[in-house]
Amino acid sequence: MNLVLVALLTAGGVGALSAVAGLLAPARVRTAVVGVSITVSGAAAAVAGVAAMTGQGAVVALPDLLPLSGVLITVDALGGVFLAITGGVAVAVGIYGIGYCRQHGLNGRGVQAVLPLFVTAMLLVPVAASVGTLLLCWELMALTSLLLVVAEHRSRPAVAQAGRWYAVMTHLGMVAILIGLLVFSANAVDGSFPALRDAASGLSPTVAGLIFVATGIGFGSKAGIVPLHAWLPRAHPEAPSNVSALMSAAMVNLGVYGIVRVGFDLLGGAQDGAATWWWLLVLTLGAVSAIYGILQAAIGTNLKRLLGYSTTENMGLVLVGVGAAGMFATSGDLPLAGLAMAAALLHLVNHAAFKTLLFQSAGSVLAATGRRDLDDLGGLRAGMPATTAAFGLGALAASALPPGAAFVSEWLLLQALTHGLPTAGASAAIVMPLAVAAVALTAGLAVATFVKAFGIGFLARPRSPEAARAAESPPSMLTGMGIAAAACVGLALLPTLVLPTIGAVAGAIVGSTDPLQIDGMTIRLVGVAGSLSPLMLTIALMIGLAATLAGVRVLATRRAARAARLWDCGAGPLSARMEYTATSFAEPLQRVFDDVLQAEQDVDVTHARESSYLVQTIEYRRRVPDRIERRLYEPVLAAMAAWGRAGRALAPGSVHRYLGYGFYALCGLLILLVVTR
Amino acid sequence: MLGLWRKIRATGRVAEPATPPPSGDSPAAATEFGGSVQIRHVDAGSCNGCEVEIGAAFGPVYDADRYGARLVASPRHADALLVTGVVTRNMAEPLKRTFEAVPDPKLVVAVGDCARNCGVFAGAYGVVGAVGDVLPVDLEIPGCPPRPEAIVDALRKLTGR
Repeated sequence: MNLVLVALLTAGGVGALSAVAGLLAPARVRTAVVGVSITVSGAAAAVAGVAAMTGQGAVVALPDLLPLSGVLITVDALGGVFLAITGGVAVAVGIYGIGYCRQHGLNGRGVQAVLPLFVTAMLLVPVAASVGTLLLCWELMALTSLLLVVAEHRSRPAVAQAGRWYAVMTHLGMVAILIGLLVFSANAVDGSFPALRDAASGLSPTVAGLIFVATGIGFGSKAGIVPLHAWLPRAHPEAPSNVSALMSAAMVNLGVYGIVRVGFDLLGGAQDGAATWWWLLVLTLGAVSAIYGILQAAIGTNLKRLLGYSTTENMGLVLVGVGAAGMFATSGDLPLAGLAMAAALLHLVNHAAFKTLLFQSAGSVLAATGRRDLDDLGGLRAGMPATTAAFGLGALAASALPPGAAFVSEWLLLQALTHGLPTAGASAAIVMPLAVAAVALTAGLAVATFVKAFGIGFLARPRSPEAARAAESPPSMLTGMGIAAAACVGLALLPTLVLPTIGAVAGAIVGSTDPLQIDGMTIRLVGVAGSLSPLMLTIALMIGLAATLAGVRVLATRRAARAARLWDCGAGPLSARMEYTATSFAEPLQRVFDDVLQAEQDVDVTHARESSYLVQTIEYRRRVPDRIERRLYEPVLAAMAAWGRAGRALAPGSVHRYLGYGFYALCGLLILLVVTR
Repeated sequence: MLGLWRKIRATGRVAEPATPPPSGDSPAAATEFGGSVQIRHVDAGSCNGCEVEIGAAFGPVYDADRYGARLVASPRHADALLVTGVVTRNMAEPLKRTFEAVPDPKLVVAVGDCARNCGVFAGAYGVVGAVGDVLPVDLEIPGCPPRPEAIVDALRKLTGR
């Protein structure tokens, strides 16, 4: 037995045992037992994933476990990346969940048993190696996450609505994946992945395209890609924060995994010249998602909803990388394809690290204040210094500015996109500059978003009594945040430690050699000119910052210091109502992008009874509706509701009639069979 | 937009011709400003007559900016305070705080008769006193309201240009 197999069995075994422990353990120790075992399970999975990325593999076949198809598990390098990411997220979230579940009343048997099952299902998806196994794990993951999303449905009615959206969309996605993979396996010997790989070369381009689009719809909806993102900004804010972290940092990644697995590995889309349009589609949808997601995040004021939209943005960026890799690979430029894929995979790792941290800190804020609207927060620095530092670090990592983690991956992505011009045909010549512009715009809006979230949410003065009373979270939650924060710092300063492995995996996916060369602390690109040394860049930035601060200090001490009152326009005292709010911070952006967002604003002025020149009250309302949702989903929902009302006439409540329906339907089916045979 | 450009070109310069710098003693601190004085205006209880004249003094005709005087939006940015009107009860404390907010060295200019000696409002119940009763005044501009030329002349004593 090799290391991968031992680690994977440990992860699965501990996960299953902790689900049992969640049911049986006494309430006093339940969250601790479950939390620690999720962490252990995640650590084992991370070990397995890293070992698989470095070249070890494992195959487990259990033909009798599942009727008809059996269970086939294979750990390879691509699955290893996602296994390692999910495991790493579980390590941080497991410990965090101990304190969070206890504080939020989530220590009941149900939640504590489902939580480890959810983690285990997510660990099994990237190692499933047959259609039956993948669909089973995927459905287990969807169901357990749904149960966790609706965990707090008794206390807030919005949770139930979010749960309905999530349930419907995740199952429609499941149906799409089911159709795609069943068509695929109908053309192969059986449903195992090796058989599918053998069958891929014999597929006609139309069937291959159909399989890719059908599975892409399902996997894309899981990744929160526009226009299938509608569930994401609903379910992520309403789920408990440790579940949000798991969903946003680990589960959505598996959507990308599905697209890469089916597109590159199973269908062999990298070698197939006819498949260029698949990757063009992926790249375009990724770019649109990135811009749309970050725009909604920049306007939003609900902290967790904002983070949810940011997930759509980051998955969009990852898919830009994946789509570019596919386009380069089909046009024969393999080193550049490897570079784009490495950028996408590194961005997945970075996103998992900082989104875990951000959702955990948002959960701490929620636990301490009960508020999630940025306009009600502020001034948390005094009461929650560690959480504030954690969120600040996560915000820096998410902003794509040095020395943040996302800077390295977005730099790699931009390098791949800008160097792609001379290689491919006309479509690439048009798409690549637009993609560069989209990535750049996204990076800029991300900075505005996270400056807003951090500055308005954590600094200045508290805007509500709850925010003023906020106290720091328990040690278990801080430990969870500390692990994620350490990962963020490590990925920002020393991406050179993970990049050799990721580069090799990315090269293997597209069929090229390693697109990156690591030279000490410096990343060098193979095939195109370009190098970056994140550690040196950070040190230079720090030196520059220290020199500026020292210079200012020296200049300031030349004059005598004078104590002065904080300027409050002379009227004083300063109050929280004078502060910048999240709404006002985002207002200029809202004006600039008004054509896209179409915010609804409403001002009601009530005049005094004595004179129309005297104003009694002014009421201002602003709502930024999700336009895609309004245009795309509301007509469909309305049509379905109308259809349902029409169908009601068929159900008058008579049992005889229902029996008749069944009888005639069966007869009709039998006649149809007789006629068509 | 094009019409605006045409108007600007057709109108040309409307500023009064520059006169030689005014004689007379200027405040001692004015020499430290080196010909450029940033000014924060405070209305301590004015009838807005003086404000109209200040607006004219900084307008295109009298153009105080060309002599180095400039209105700013915060006392933190200012070298001098331009106070108009009698000091009312409501504005006495904000006026003091505004003065404290101005970095050293700083000057106070009292514009108009109300600011110098309460003018027609002397003895009214809402009045604390003239500006000199609240702050150390360095320069006074008489008149009710003072003419824009008088305001520009006084500001040129501060800038020395």
